[in-house]
Amino acid sequence: MNIQKPGLTLYGLFIVMAFLAAAALLFGVAVSSILVFLLIYAALAYSINFITGMIGYVDFGHVLFMAIGSYALATLVSYYGANPLLGVGAGAVLGLVFALGIGLVILRFRGVYFAIATVVLVLAAYNIVLQFPQLGTGGEIIFNLTLQPLTPYFTIWTIVLIEIALTYYVNRSRIGFGIRAIKSEEDAASSVGVSPQRLKLIGYMLGGLFGGAAGGVYSWSTSGVTAGPAFDFTFSLLMLAMIIIGGVGTSIGPLLGAVVVYIPSYFLLTSVAQAQPLIIGLLVIIMALFLPDGIVGLLRRSNERLRLVLE
Amino acid sequence: MVAVELIVRDLAFGLMLGCVFSVVAHGLNIIWGVVKVVNIAHGEFIMLGAYGAYFLNLFAGITPLESAPVNAVIGLLVGYAFYYAFLHRELRNKQTITLQSEMVTLAATFGLSLFISNLAIILFTGNPVGVNYNPGTLQFGYLHVPLAALYVAIVSILIIAGTWLFLEKTFIGSTIRAYSQDVTATELVGANPATVASLATALGFAVTMAGGALLTVWVPVGINPLMGALYAPISFVIVVLGGPGKMWGSLVGGLTLGVLIDLVQAFATAQIAYAAAFLILIPVLVFRPGGILK
Amino acid sequence: MQAKPRRLAKRTTAIIVIAIVAIVIVSGGGTYYYINYVAPRPISCTLPSGRDAIKVGFTISLTGTYNVEGSKSLAGIEAAACWINSNGGVTVNGKTYNIVLDYHDDASSSSNISPLYTSIITQDHAQFLLAPYSSGLTGTAAPLAEQNNLVMLSHGGSSDSIWTKGYKNVFGVLSPASTYFNNAINWLKANHLGDKLAFLHSDDSFSTTASVAASRYAVQQGLTVVYNYSYPSMGTQDLSTQLTAAQVAGADDLLGGGHYADGLKIVQQLSSVGWTPKFISLLVAVTEPQFQQQLGGAANLVTGPSQWETTVTYSPASAQTAGIPWYGPTESQFVDYYSKQANAGSPTYHSGEAGAAILVLVNAIHNANSLDTTAVRQAISGMHIMTFFGQFQVDATGKQSAHSMVLVQWQNGELAVVAPAIVTSGTVKYPYTGS
Repeated sequence: MNIQKPGLTLYGLFIVMAFLAAAALLFGVAVSSILVFLLIYAALAYSINFITGMIGYVDFGHVLFMAIGSYALATLVSYYGANPLLGVGAGAVLGLVFALGIGLVILRFRGVYFAIATVVLVLAAYNIVLQFPQLGTGGEIIFNLTLQPLTPYFTIWTIVLIEIALTYYVNRSRIGFGIRAIKSEEDAASSVGVSPQRLKLIGYMLGGLFGGAAGGVYSWSTSGVTAGPAFDFTFSLLMLAMIIIGGVGTSIGPLLGAVVVYIPSYFLLTSVAQAQPLIIGLLVIIMALFLPDGIVGLLRRSNERLRLVLE
Repeated sequence: MVAVELIVRDLAFGLMLGCVFSVVAHGLNIIWGVVKVVNIAHGEFIMLGAYGAYFLNLFAGITPLESAPVNAVIGLLVGYAFYYAFLHRELRNKQTITLQSEMVTLAATFGLSLFISNLAIILFTGNPVGVNYNPGTLQFGYLHVPLAALYVAIVSILIIAGTWLFLEKTFIGSTIRAYSQDVTATELVGANPATVASLATALGFAVTMAGGALLTVWVPVGINPLMGALYAPISFVIVVLGGPGKMWGSLVGGLTLGVLIDLVQAFATAQIAYAAAFLILIPVLVFRPGGILK
Repeated sequence: MQAKPRRLAKRTTAIIVIAIVAIVIVSGGGTYYYINYVAPRPISCTLPSGRDAIKVGFTISLTGTYNVEGSKSLAGIEAAACWINSNGGVTVNGKTYNIVLDYHDDASSSSNISPLYTSIITQDHAQFLLAPYSSGLTGTAAPLAEQNNLVMLSHGGSSDSIWTKGYKNVFGVLSPASTYFNNAINWLKANHLGDKLAFLHSDDSFSTTASVAASRYAVQQGLTVVYNYSYPSMGTQDLSTQLTAAQVAGADDLLGGGHYADGLKIVQQLSSVGWTPKFISLLVAVTEPQFQQQLGGAANLVTGPSQWETTVTYSPASAQTAGIPWYGPTESQFVDYYSKQANAGSPTYHSGEAGAAILVLVNAIHNANSLDTTAVRQAISGMHIMTFFGQFQVDATGKQSAHSMVLVQWQNGELAVVAPAIVTSGTVKYPYTGS
């Protein structure tokens, strides 16, 4: 396999993205209002993929960065009348800054301790947000943007596109090898001259950056933010489920996972809404125990050609 | 005088709440300490324990204190099944758990927690329910102590003491301790590691589900399918505070948390108190990764 | 978790197959159970034939966090729509229409709101909209009503901030959160002006808005507020610290609360910390019948604000007294229609406010004698009527201004309406005596 030449996977993903862009332009708001959330979920899945997928640490608290992005956009738009694009940018920057600060501390913890630290941070942040009346009464900010549905759509579309390219690049580059070395054994990584600490921090910061940006677009698309739902672990869990089902660490996995998890959850709402998270839970169990590379791994194993192509 | 009165009351309630927190976290502590696996679905089994107490109260008319042993028996069976379904594949033939196996168990139990909580929503609906149990109040001067909370605190301490005695003084217990230190040592004693690990897991689940029953006394109508989302993180903090595998660590961690929440509230807002209770995990992990107990 | 490429072992394949079968069985069983036992069964209300339809679109939370409130709201909407259709329908320009409901489950998630409303508007071509349940979701749906220029009635969004965004098409049926405690404070002002008040409330948006506005109103009315704190909505195992602090601060009366569980916890812990306030008024919890069942004697004389109760007796006669028109079913007719639905239980105020939203809409269509958004919007803006839910009139921002909250109090196992005077079934009993 040639490292330098982009493979079919990347072209395939670009074609899918082109389809998504075309669908929004051709079919109008009825389709794009559904797809925008698919893209938001995909963006979140790619962002957590930078952490869990690449470092190999399970992160249950990624919703924290989403909430940071949501509040950044809501505050700027609602109180300062800022352009929402600026809000998304602010969300991304804040996500990055928080990821740097938090990452410096909690990335020192290995394995389960890291996972647990991410959980408690979300709960602490939730309580802290409610201390600030500036962030809305009871953490609720509602705003009214004369919404141009295509602007948030193409904002999140661009974010996902960047994430795909970056994931692909990281997977294939020297950094990627370093990161895979961390995943298999941290001590081995440091012995071959890669600084695991720095690589982990880079992955975590990328996760924070894109998580914040996606959170900004989320509150843009829902015209507000409320503390309870903004810090709802369900988002963390969905993101994690998406990459576990799709294929942890791969370039296709997060998008695939977002499609598998979100599309049925939307279309089955009225019929089997209750059973759907149940199925996600079962899928996660099966994937974790038997198919650690998710759907992508399953496809790879099933066919020699796919194994070479799918990344 | 007023301030002293306030602090005494806060301390009393904080200690009693801390006891029940301890027992709720204790099951996690046992599994984490012995098998070295963190069960992300821990909160869901607390929730099932709480529903166990609710249904036993509804259909058999027994109090949460009486339903705790019934729950424990169910917990033994559930824990045994859990070990073979989720952990055995990753743990067998391994001296120490690898980072990768750790992640597999985290992800798998995370799936389990999604599954159980959503199944519970379907079976029990989202309506919160509760157990009505109020044996009265004890009064020492200005200090009113609800008897239910006091009983629960005593039973909690007894449960923790019981598991400690079991692990320290019985043969099976010492085998389990051997396993927790060195898996090969178990085989030297002549025991099958899988049997020992499954036994420890079952014990952990028994305590967890009994703890769920005891918790109902503190949440008069807070039993709902999503309650695990709060008690799992609380349990994580407690176990880290006390140090995984240290039986009395649960109690130390639980009491620290209970007192911390109630005392900080007396001086700052309740939100700060809860934030502090969760954030204390970070400095403990940085400075004393083995827990605050020596 | 890099896997070596290898063929699946037979055993693994078998396990996967078994798991997939298990998924199918569980999801099938879950769905069957849900559809047969949990989901409220809407009235099989036979639509009078030969009429055209007016399509009213909305999403409602049948699953997720707000499933209880959402199901009660939906049943209320169904009951009101059914009453309208069986009582002459809607007549516009001499032509009679049925009200037809077009709703989807939003699973209590804001990410479902805009796709669902967009499809309701652009594909189902709903002519009028109702808002979803809760302020947060209403805030998400409101811009869509504006963009597509459709009238939207809010029945479950009590946050005042919805009405500060300049929406032209969004109107509230229910009293905003900031007015919840007004009855209680007015009564205290009139009867016990010297009382010192303590506010202790959950930190969610609704409870905070209600309590903060109430403490401000209380101070304006000349009452003294000696304690004002919130507690985390996640941590309600122990409120003894706050209750003790309020008592130590010298408070006579306790107002606040948040959710059902908190309200219960507060009253339960009052006795365990040994404080008996003279007057207690709590959000949400008090109106639930289980409140009294769970607490027994301790619930006696606890008061609480409510948008509506089945015991509230607005009637065509009281409309006449107030000099405004009456529209819709009487309270007993509404309850009657409501109870025709399976699994719907008894109506709560969520049912009342949601049902009233449909009635207000239909009355406005009658008044406008048109299905045009602008005409109906103007009709709603200028309307002052009474329904079984109480009065309806909105201010210039679309916020409800005429509807009055009621104050209820448990009196010997009965939930009595004690204020405002027009609908009372008893008077406030004071002081609270504990259990």
